[in-house]
Amino acid sequence: MNILASLDKVSYFYPNSTEAVLKDISLEIYQGEFLGIIGPTGAGKTTLCLTLNGIVPQFYGGRFFGYVTVAGLDTLKHPVSHLARYVGAVFEDPETQLIGTSVENEIAFALENLCVEREEILARIPSVLEAVRLEGTEKKHPQELSGGQKQRLAIAAALALQPSLLILDEPTSQLDPIGSQEVFATVKELNEALGVTIVMVSHAAEEMADFSDRIALLSQGEIIAQGTPQDIYADIECLATHNLRPPQVAQSFFYLQQKGIKIPQIPVTLHEGLQSLRSLQETTTVANLDLPQTNSRDRQIPLLSTQNLTHIYEDGTKALQGISLNIYEGEYLLIIGQNGAGKSTLVKHFLNLLQPTQGTVKIRQKDSQTLSVSELAHFIGYVGQNPDNQIFSMTVEEEVAFALENVGYDRKRIDKKVTQSLQEMGLLEHRDAHPLSLPKGDRARIIIAAILAMEPDIIIFDEPTIGQDYQGSRAILEVSRQLHQRGKTVIVITHHLYLMPDYAERAIVMGQGTILLDGPIRDVYHQTDLLESTYLTPPQAVLLAQELSQLSQQQYPVLTPVELAECFVP
Amino acid sequence: MSPPLNPQGEAREIKTLGSASLDGTPLDYIVVMAAVVAVLAFIPFSITIGSGGVFPLSQGIFPLLGWLLGPIGGAAASGIGTLIGVFLAPHTAGIPPISILGAVMGSFAAGSMVIGKRRRNWWFGLTIIFAIAFFVYTRRAFNNGVSVPIIALGSFIDWSALLLFILPTRTLFARWINRQDLRLVGLGIFFGSWMITGVSHLTQIAITYAMFNWPEETWLFLIPIMPLENLVRSIVGTFIGIRVISGLRAIGLMKPTEAIY
Repeated sequence: MNILASLDKVSYFYPNSTEAVLKDISLEIYQGEFLGIIGPTGAGKTTLCLTLNGIVPQFYGGRFFGYVTVAGLDTLKHPVSHLARYVGAVFEDPETQLIGTSVENEIAFALENLCVEREEILARIPSVLEAVRLEGTEKKHPQELSGGQKQRLAIAAALALQPSLLILDEPTSQLDPIGSQEVFATVKELNEALGVTIVMVSHAAEEMADFSDRIALLSQGEIIAQGTPQDIYADIECLATHNLRPPQVAQSFFYLQQKGIKIPQIPVTLHEGLQSLRSLQETTTVANLDLPQTNSRDRQIPLLSTQNLTHIYEDGTKALQGISLNIYEGEYLLIIGQNGAGKSTLVKHFLNLLQPTQGTVKIRQKDSQTLSVSELAHFIGYVGQNPDNQIFSMTVEEEVAFALENVGYDRKRIDKKVTQSLQEMGLLEHRDAHPLSLPKGDRARIIIAAILAMEPDIIIFDEPTIGQDYQGSRAILEVSRQLHQRGKTVIVITHHLYLMPDYAERAIVMGQGTILLDGPIRDVYHQTDLLESTYLTPPQAVLLAQELSQLSQQQYPVLTPVELAECFVP
Repeated sequence: MSPPLNPQGEAREIKTLGSASLDGTPLDYIVVMAAVVAVLAFIPFSITIGSGGVFPLSQGIFPLLGWLLGPIGGAAASGIGTLIGVFLAPHTAGIPPISILGAVMGSFAAGSMVIGKRRRNWWFGLTIIFAIAFFVYTRRAFNNGVSVPIIALGSFIDWSALLLFILPTRTLFARWINRQDLRLVGLGIFFGSWMITGVSHLTQIAITYAMFNWPEETWLFLIPIMPLENLVRSIVGTFIGIRVISGLRAIGLMKPTEAIY
């Protein structure tokens, strides 16, 4: 295959930094391939992508060593505007990439800046919209589109420049499962049908294993391994060393291998996994499984309840329809559903940020609308999706103390509570640091510390794992577990279903403003038809377990790769 | 900590080839800060009728923009933001061309508070302009029959700012803003804001006074008010500035070439 882009012994230091973010990287990118780049947070993935369109180092400065060539052009010798004709880039958050007042204006913007003829621009708009399946949206405002559609519009805008290489840096991390599926499917189609070379950075291991032709593993600025998805994702120990998550199917078969069961080759895609499972079931004894039961809660008095809760927004959108729900003290509750299912609207009623159109919300039997802000802060703490939206103080300590000062605690009590909260979150050594100088995972912990200091009964985590790598996600969920173990009621909203079996006891599936399903997580996760009908993707371990149940005519309601491995006797 | 890297690749010379910057300040920084100025233009903060209207909160950050973006980038951001604010928030616009002039001169003067040797003489040209403005303003007042003590008291913010700008205090404030100690940064921003908003006021008042020719009675009324207003500008600048500077340092965003923080 022809080489489209190459990095030759590339090292890079950001300005005022003595630590190289890229270290002697040599990598070749072939014409027409789909190259996945994986690595933990801080590995240098984004910087590597930015070297391909010249933004690093032309925009950032710093110290640069080695050569990056794209379509025969040295990226240090050609302006970014010129390289943009060859390299398109799409980033994590679709909201920050769209500036046009209509879909067609958005696509035309970069072309106009490159002085492309008007007729040519008008010709390209319909063709790129067709490529990303957004035909008919030309006149719509970008804000009218869904998350997945917005990201596809960003791809269309990049595609309109007819780049040879399309870089996508975490393009699905902010999207719900359906948006994520749309983007992966679109990108693969562009790769296969139009021959566009793709470089994609993503933590979505299952999708990367499915769609990539080749994967490069980056850690601490160095390329640790390159190879097929099979080469990379089957090496579970190497992934673990670098705090990376393999696809659940690979993890499941790795655990089986660890148990002494002979696995000729660890599968990395679901399709391969189902085939391997069928072979395994014929040759290996299947055990009866004794799974742990979900803790039964005292269901007499709910801590938080809604009765016939309905909310209709001013534009007439019916966001919630007659929701009746009881949440009990000490529960760990998972709320799942597509964007627009009503999850956030429901939570906003808990926080008194929205008032019911009809129905009531009660906290400890009191109507939430009768509670003052400070009273409510003692009952419920809210950790939002983006911790940066909740941070405004100049030191970690001030951030944690803010709410305490506002509810009128004396200085001695504030100091004691702040110290205690920071200690529990492992942030004591950073108490004088500026919150924004800490990594995103730590910034989320600052918010949790601030909430902990208020000692609320209920703590709500709204999409806490978005934009986090596997280690960061687990770190935040471990905090939620600790809070739960201390008797707090924990509510988590997330699209990352594979992360939750180790934590949640009960799960609620929402769709179109109603509760579609409410039950123990094990039961809910195994309602795969219902989950898939709402475009939620069950974890691969669940899908493998269902196949096993069908093959063996026994029920295996397992949720995790570890549990799946327990189903077989060596 | 990992051992220092000895790169195998050839060291490369880096040039900014995208031309998406103005005097070393990325255009997107200028656009963002201009938007901030335009938004702050909506918020009036004057406690008095002042010279015929209220002042926008954005006046408090004109010096900050000069320190963050340099003289040219800062002046561009302040000027563009104020121009937009004039249309979107006419209730704080005052006399539009003079408001824009004050914004541009304020950020430009702040950006000229350099620490190193580069552009170290720019302040001198500005001082001549400010001195002429002061002379024109006070002479006209004197000709209008305003007594010297009243002129001295009424133009306190102007001459005190001019003195601070001429003396080594200009460089001292710049050095404080450049320090890691946030208390010194705060002091640098506070006194720097007093000085810069004062000289910015001077360039404006030389024109507005020529238009309105206030009698001594009006001067008497303004004597306590103008320092109070300048104090508010300095406090606003310090409140916003110290947070912005500590935040920018924390996130390690690329610093414009002429920034002094």
